[in-house]
Amino acid sequence: MNFDNLKNEWNAENPAESNISSDMLKINQAHTPIDKIRAKMKHEFFYQLFFLVFMAIIPHIFGFSALINRVFLMTYSTTCGFTAYYFFKFYIFYKNSYNLSMDTRKNILWFYYEMKLNIELYKALTYIVAFISVGFLNAFVFIEKASIFSKILNKLSPVYILLNCFVTILIIGAITELWAWFYYGKYLKQVKKVIDELDSE
Amino acid sequence: MKETENTFLTLINQHKAIIHKISKMYMNDAEEQRDLFQEIVFQLWKAYPSFKGNSKFTTWMYRVCLNTAIICFKKESRKVDKTPYDGNIDIIDVNENEGKEEKLAYLYTAVQELNAIEKALIFLFLENQSHREIAENLGISEVNARVKLNRTKEKLQFIIKKNGYEF
Repeated sequence: MNFDNLKNEWNAENPAESNISSDMLKINQAHTPIDKIRAKMKHEFFYQLFFLVFMAIIPHIFGFSALINRVFLMTYSTTCGFTAYYFFKFYIFYKNSYNLSMDTRKNILWFYYEMKLNIELYKALTYIVAFISVGFLNAFVFIEKASIFSKILNKLSPVYILLNCFVTILIIGAITELWAWFYYGKYLKQVKKVIDELDSE
Repeated sequence: MKETENTFLTLINQHKAIIHKISKMYMNDAEEQRDLFQEIVFQLWKAYPSFKGNSKFTTWMYRVCLNTAIICFKKESRKVDKTPYDGNIDIIDVNENEGKEEKLAYLYTAVQELNAIEKALIFLFLENQSHREIAENLGISEVNARVKLNRTKEKLQFIIKKNGYEF
């Protein structure tokens, strides 16, 4: 195979493409993995907003007592606080522009770490909301169903209770990790593959 | 703004063959090639303010085009035949009499079996870039660029042979 001949033919090739018009500069959405993650995070923001609105009417639906209402208010405000903080971070990520004119290594590493960081932030928010919810459920059971619950607790060994806590944490962890992987992980995997290709000796 | 847009369109139309070739190298399917072409044009326009004229326009363009093509993955991984060469293949000799376009068509088919970085190496080599320029574009050392390019050329020769062609 003569690469020099091939080079000449390659350079002589002049694809008969029509001219690029200004319309092509006006597409609404780019399609790099980071843009796809950003678009998904934007959707998640609206789901989260809906979840917070729904959370606000939970006391009315279930007719909580005054004491539980106070606990719920604490839970709700903490959830709103954390959500606002993390969504502010995601907003910065959403607005942060990227520059594809760097060399390939710098460019691909920027993509990788920016995506990884935001997926980790997303997981952190999911953990926080899940543990706050579990905390509220515990408070609810201890306050509202104290007599029944204390009877049950008295019958259970401390090892069993600890095991239950451990399994709960494990389930929350597994769901969060799997969901993040299913929703965002494939993009990260694709980018990591390119880094490995670039690094291979 | 309109003036910037016009300048950009003039420059980009002068060098649109680069975008076209990269789209053909990175995507096999015609629809995906069109999508990638459009994405590259969009990313070039987005990155245009970063072009200060310190380097040649084509140098800047190579980077943006290749980085976009590398980072924009195929919608789904289409299975490419990767059966190892067993030596029992009828080789068709694509000689000088055959059309140049046909030769390039074989090349475009063969590069589909290369990974994203190997495609970038072959593209820059065919665009007459030196080892140093290839290394600078990819952000690797010059030695590494040379080694990788040689390996990729061997791999490409092997794929073309495996597909039953020789030129």
